Amino acid sequence: MNRNIIQSILTGILLLAGFLFADDKLNISGYIHSENRLQTNEQEITWNENRLNLQFEGGKSNKYHFFSEVRLRGLGFPNVNQTSDLQLQEKSKVYRWGLEFREAYVDLYGFALENLDVRIGRQIVSWGTGDAFNPTSNISPDDLEDIYNFGERLGINAFNGTYYLNDNITLNGVFIPLFTPATLPIGDFSRAFSPQIELPPGLSIGNLSDEILLPKPSISESSQYAIKIMTTLLSYDMSLSYFKGRDDFPLISKVELTPVDLIGTMDISTVLQYPEIEVIGGDFAGSIASVGIWGEGALTIPKKLPMTTIYPSFINPGQLDTMQTVALENESYFKYVLGGDYTFKNGMYLNTQFIHGFFHERGKDALNDYFSFRLEKNFFNGELKVIPISGALAVNNWDDAKNNYGLVYAPEMIYYFSDNVELSIGAFILDGKGDNLFSSIMDKDEVYVKIKVSF
Amino acid sequence: MRPFITKALPAIPVILFLVALVLMGKLMGQQLSPEDILQKTDDVANAPKNQYMESTMLLIDKDGDQKERKMLIYQKGEDNRLVRFLSPADQKGISFLSLPNDVMYLYLPAFRKIRMIASHVKNESFAGTDFSYDDMSSYKFADEYTAVLTNSDDQYFNLELKPKPNVDKDYSKLEMTILKDKYIAVKINYFDKGGNLWKTLTRGNLVKKDDYWVAMTMMMKDLKKKHNTVMNIEKIDFDIEMSDTIFTKRYLKRIN
Repeated sequence: MNRNIIQSILTGILLLAGFLFADDKLNISGYIHSENRLQTNEQEITWNENRLNLQFEGGKSNKYHFFSEVRLRGLGFPNVNQTSDLQLQEKSKVYRWGLEFREAYVDLYGFALENLDVRIGRQIVSWGTGDAFNPTSNISPDDLEDIYNFGERLGINAFNGTYYLNDNITLNGVFIPLFTPATLPIGDFSRAFSPQIELPPGLSIGNLSDEILLPKPSISESSQYAIKIMTTLLSYDMSLSYFKGRDDFPLISKVELTPVDLIGTMDISTVLQYPEIEVIGGDFAGSIASVGIWGEGALTIPKKLPMTTIYPSFINPGQLDTMQTVALENESYFKYVLGGDYTFKNGMYLNTQFIHGFFHERGKDALNDYFSFRLEKNFFNGELKVIPISGALAVNNWDDAKNNYGLVYAPEMIYYFSDNVELSIGAFILDGKGDNLFSSIMDKDEVYVKIKVSF
Repeated sequence: MRPFITKALPAIPVILFLVALVLMGKLMGQQLSPEDILQKTDDVANAPKNQYMESTMLLIDKDGDQKERKMLIYQKGEDNRLVRFLSPADQKGISFLSLPNDVMYLYLPAFRKIRMIASHVKNESFAGTDFSYDDMSSYKFADEYTAVLTNSDDQYFNLELKPKPNVDKDYSKLEMTILKDKYIAVKINYFDKGGNLWKTLTRGNLVKKDDYWVAMTMMMKDLKKKHNTVMNIEKIDFDIEMSDTIFTKRYLKRIN
């Protein structure tokens, strides 16, 4: 984005906020975050991010509250190909800038009804009791740009109402007028999340191109809604939910193969769509003895999505044939997570989860099993946090698990240099066999260093 | 001239009555069982119908380096307490709700979620301070500990407290020093499971606000970590208009 535009936007936001909310206890806070990752095998820097996160917040405590979060950041590497790239006034080829408008909403408390709170505007809605993995949370799309930071979500424009029926029953309804797709990982994980094309033996892929069809921006095509009822029963928080909308990951619905030579090379163009889905979910959180436990499950009912394949005719050379199949059957599938945490007497904290079905996995036969785990302990009055064991294990075939697993081991150390200042170093060490999310990039171990200053 | 004894005779009943009164008073004081003393101390601490507090916590390490936490505390009755952090910036908005029957919730704004806290964290450090979540949740020693009177002088009761059966505490015993005239615990020594002195809480700067005595300064010393937390109350109001809705998940996630 043009640097002058970004500067103008930021200045505008600050001035506007200052003028508009001068009487409303406007608070400006945020953080600066800097992160670099190095791939150890090739000694290549794979992540270079500097982020300024600003949050504006205020209001009158019992009437309304407003909040906005913008993120200005440089992510990536210089993209200089010619001299003129070095002479751009906005320096956008030297520094790669981005402005992310994450949230901007207003809360109205006791709106129309005493027990009704309403949130209107761009917001991140996070449902579910799972830790970072929430199959019932389908309102805000996944932000998988950085797969190692999974659980992040994108803001969506929504009307969100919460009605407190009584002390123990709460109803939540969200209407999203416009569909927003998920972002996909960049870097090495991108191929794990991109739809794969396989050709019959003897054929090879030439050029690949794709087109994504977003739903029309109309209420009937693009809008989504979700409702949830929450209660506490026998000291367990629990909820039931329903979502009607679209899967936020695209699926190939059309493939066109075009021969480019006589030795079997094909150019492939694909069309991707976002399948319509309904999701019935439920979750709980509580404890058994002193162990914290939680669970969350979502039954996804997809609408059938046809698949069209256009390919060179074997019968009539020089012509194209069309085949109609199914990209996604309307067979329901169930994703779930079960987790627990515990703090040992020596202060060591353990958090572990079993996950059935990752973000991008669809169809009951395509859901793999994952374990996530984290063991951490604080030292020196909390100035140093050591996480010696952390990561995830994927198993895609239990009958032959030793040849079908993927492991990401992610130890980390966080040094709280001062209040508001934290320095982290860590690694992502990958291993695996067979065809799964982690084994496909098992030679891409990384180390990283991060610093974050809050203000 | 009448002998002295004759002159003094009419006064004897009065003197005897006064002596009896004093003895009865002493006797009645002694008749308070240790459990009664502890219960009365709890009652004094929980006497206000509600309280609103703005306080600063200083976290002081063995080198004297200090960190500061500012927070608001709402309390209603014995069991309802809400703590909301105002600073430092990386903890601003973190809120903790304690409800009857050991139900606790934590709101972390960064995750936009309210999380029920399992009891395994009860004895963990509260936001890096020397107070545990349990220390911060409520003041109900009589419900959780048995008491033995170890000493009593003109000024103080000294009680030894031990957790009641089926009450899970990290402390094997407590030594509590209680001001006799106010029933305020001014010092508590906390012992670990091995019987070693672990933490010491001292309360000072006693001030009468409205009808209640309150310690405006509290210091918790962790002798193992050689770390102190000093809590200074900067503002306190008692028996104000305080809605029950404050002690709900609805209110917990309201930042301001």
